Amino acid sequence: MGVTIKALSKSPWVFHVSSGSCNNCDIEILDCLCPRFDIERFGALLVGSVRHADALLVTGAMNRKSAIRVRELYQQAAKPCLVIAIGSCACGQTFFRESYNMVQPLDELLPPGAVTAYVPGCPPKPEAMIAGVVKALSVLNGGKKKGDGPKAEEPKKPAKPQKEG
Amino acid sequence: MDREQIVQQVRDALGDKIKRLHVANPRRVYVTVEPGDVVEATRILHKDLGARFNIASGMQTQTDFEVLYHFAFEEEAPNGVLVTVRVHLDHENPSVDSVVGSVPAARWIEQEMNELLGIEFRNHPEMKRLLLSEDWPKGVYPLRHGKPWEGKVEKKL
Repeated sequence: MGVTIKALSKSPWVFHVSSGSCNNCDIEILDCLCPRFDIERFGALLVGSVRHADALLVTGAMNRKSAIRVRELYQQAAKPCLVIAIGSCACGQTFFRESYNMVQPLDELLPPGAVTAYVPGCPPKPEAMIAGVVKALSVLNGGKKKGDGPKAEEPKKPAKPQKEG
Repeated sequence: MDREQIVQQVRDALGDKIKRLHVANPRRVYVTVEPGDVVEATRILHKDLGARFNIASGMQTQTDFEVLYHFAFEEEAPNGVLVTVRVHLDHENPSVDSVVGSVPAARWIEQEMNELLGIEFRNHPEMKRLLLSEDWPKGVYPLRHGKPWEGKVEKKL
């Protein structure tokens, strides 16, 4: 594991890309940052510039105008960079797919494999977002692949027979 | 002043410009006028009677286009009255005079109706693109019936 990856996975700084969502997912992302869920305890910090970011949290079904901006933001981010699609719209455009103002969905807009994790839900719970970030980080660390469940627990050693008496 | 008095005031002020006055419920009044009278009718409501310009809306029906200018009387009556000036436009060539001269706040919503529905507003001071992206083809109006953009707009960047 390179030092970059190690530093990134210890403190993933996140940048919030709202590509025209209904603000529901945005509110839930803010909820993640507030004291109740407090993802800062994992070292995740909301940053104001995409140049400082290790992970992009993308919300919203992108339209014809904002998709250009999302692609530019991804190009400006320092690599390696995680992209996490937050909400059903960012994952697959849902019922906005047939609209006149839609282009291709996020994972087809960005280079193949750029989107590391999908967090569906309308809006997803903060717990789900934290789980998504953790899964994305484990992909960086070369661990579990996308969509894998939790690793099978290692067989426990047989407990020592307790001494009687 | 109660709502009936406001409706009577509107009736007196607009006079013979009214083609049809429909009181849908105590808080919604629809006044249909000829396309030529819409500038004067909105000026009377906004300047003379002091109604606030709320919003305008446009729509395409089976037979024609409609533009509706909504004016709110808020302080005069409890809970207010919304008076809507409705104008019917030709289905083939929807065109009407812009009301921006007397109702400046209608500027952007008329731009938007022009862009999305293709209604022409004559004498609008600045009829340029407001919402759609720069690569959207001219003459394709996305909110018209029957998905007119299909085949004309690339669904890929």
